[in-house]
Amino acid sequence: MFAAILDADRGGRWVLRPEGAAETHRRYVPGTNLLETTYTTATGRVRVTDVMTLPGRGLAPFRELARRVEGLDGRVAISWRIEPRFGYGLARTRIEPRTPFPVATSGTTALAACAWDAGRIETEAAAIAGRFEARAGTRTTIALVAADGEPLVFPARADVERRIETTAAFWRDWSARLAYDGPWRDAVVRSALALKLLVFAPSGAIAAAPTTSLPESLGGERNWDYRFSWIRDSAFTIESLLQLGCDAEARAFFWWFMHATQRTLPRLHVLYRLDGDTHTPERTLPLAGYRDSRPVRIGNGAANQLQLDTYGELLDAAYQYAHRGHTVGRQTAWDVARIADYVCSQWREPDSGIWEVRAAPRHYTQSKAMCWVALDRARRLVDRGEIPARRATRWASEAADIRRFIEERCWSEAKRSYVWYAGADGLDASLLLLAIMRYERPEAARMRMTIEAVRRELAAGPLLHRYTGADGLARGDGAFACCSFWLAEALAISGQRREAEHVMDELVALANDVGLYSEEIDPASHAFLGNFPQGLVHLALISAAVAMQEASQ
Amino acid sequence: MTVWGALAGGFAGTLVLTTALAAGSHLRLTRMDIPFLLGTAFTEDRTRAKVFGYTAHFGAGLVFALVYYAGFVALGQAGWKLGLVFGLVHALFAGTTLVNVLLPVVHPRMGTPDSAADSSPLLESPGFMLLNYGRGTPTLTILAHLAYGAIVGIFVGASAR
Repeated sequence: MFAAILDADRGGRWVLRPEGAAETHRRYVPGTNLLETTYTTATGRVRVTDVMTLPGRGLAPFRELARRVEGLDGRVAISWRIEPRFGYGLARTRIEPRTPFPVATSGTTALAACAWDAGRIETEAAAIAGRFEARAGTRTTIALVAADGEPLVFPARADVERRIETTAAFWRDWSARLAYDGPWRDAVVRSALALKLLVFAPSGAIAAAPTTSLPESLGGERNWDYRFSWIRDSAFTIESLLQLGCDAEARAFFWWFMHATQRTLPRLHVLYRLDGDTHTPERTLPLAGYRDSRPVRIGNGAANQLQLDTYGELLDAAYQYAHRGHTVGRQTAWDVARIADYVCSQWREPDSGIWEVRAAPRHYTQSKAMCWVALDRARRLVDRGEIPARRATRWASEAADIRRFIEERCWSEAKRSYVWYAGADGLDASLLLLAIMRYERPEAARMRMTIEAVRRELAAGPLLHRYTGADGLARGDGAFACCSFWLAEALAISGQRREAEHVMDELVALANDVGLYSEEIDPASHAFLGNFPQGLVHLALISAAVAMQEASQ
Repeated sequence: MTVWGALAGGFAGTLVLTTALAAGSHLRLTRMDIPFLLGTAFTEDRTRAKVFGYTAHFGAGLVFALVYYAGFVALGQAGWKLGLVFGLVHALFAGTTLVNVLLPVVHPRMGTPDSAADSSPLLESPGFMLLNYGRGTPTLTILAHLAYGAIVGIFVGASAR
């Protein structure tokens, strides 16, 4: 509905701003997901609070986005304009004046612009608009309410105001319970709040990011749809949620992905739709793209790749879940055993790796190491009595073979490091996960040398590029923010705590003005690239912060 | 022709009508959600509203089947063709009067032209021929009621033999 970021002409938008020049200061209301923007103009000051309200009790709209404008000083002329464009701007949108509020419809989706003290509401052919003057002490509320497949619910102003307050209270209570009290608490809390917004509540699935096709390089073709849930992120998600005491969310997510993967077990899809479906065909839209970065894609073709690392990440998530006192359950226990058997039969195959390289499959080191992690976690779950031990001997023997493969074919004496893939000259940042996921002891000689080599060859300041070398796509990309936090964590767990803290401080300072990160950061300009905000980056931030706290203890 | 035939036809017809409207919503033809509309007359809780709404809709389906039955008895014949006629009249009545005018009047959470400043209507009203819920709504409503009428006619006619 609001895709102007991907096409300024065809995409929809909701603009609300002072008329004329204004200084802008944004922040989240502490401990909440309420965005507060203060505009200072030559004539006065206003504060705008944006809230996706929670329905609470009573009959509330299906979805409600509320914006409250409070006059602070002087007088400020404000104009607002809602231009909804359904279906990424490609579907026909009908806007009509109705009682009590104007309504925009397309197919079975509808929205109403409910405004109070927001001036005369003008209903145009393609927009709903108004203008008003905010004075010290005045308050304006505009709520955009949506319905899909049902009649619209028009809220009363008092109900919207009440939902804004109860939503703020919910977030404050939720964030106050987060069990982290280290030096980066603000960043950790903001990350957890961002992750919570990525949870699709009806299923418990967590989206990788809420956006599609924000480019990894401006004008380039690395524009992907991240509005899906990746198995890869599961281990980090489960562990981070459990570390922060978010047991309910961890349990919901664990059960979601064990349920979602049922249809394909023991084979795993790389990613799943948030409702658990595996059908994610990729297609392009006729949109201009963010700053002319085309194509604009919806769907994700990487779903059909073989990415062996996902097996290790899934089984590590199952192990972490059990390790923190939860019961895996009989059916899941059998599923885990079947996945371990499958890994034994598949690990010798080349794959597309963690970076979803769209070139010929290779024997990626991190993929092999995660296969080892899968079998290691299966063995540990046997030791805990959580899963049947029927194939444990084979799992141990195959794990030894995997280790032999990595140590003999994925280690370079010349580089004094593990390398990106068997026989490669180059490195990649996912090698840091060999330490973080405990394929190898972080303080072991080879691991320490690898951490050093990765930093030497891939670092740009505190940031890390994900790899060097060709990957089948034109133009390079920025530094991967999650890899940078992996570096901080790897340094911490390998005993280099001061260096880790230094890197962490630098990375935390690179967040945007409200503490969020995109997938990538331009090492030179520190501009954000790629989809935003990206869950994996915030997961890596939490994991690094917790690891450093544990290391310091 | 028996009352039991009418009730059985009313149940089967309402089943088909409800399914057709739900399918129409999933096929993106309409935003009309009869169980939601009826249920919110009793509660503001969305989940309970659906349960109440389905129950009320089936109850209404049985009541209308008895009205059809009275028509069949009065005319001395029953069958799917006469059922289609009753269904068409029923659909037009629903679209122009029953849901459009009477429901908002009795629905405590829906506005009417008489609503004033002391009320806060919550639900979007249906509009003439339910057009507020989508351009495909009248067509779907008529087709669903034609099916309902035909089914009731078949059941009542069969119960006569």
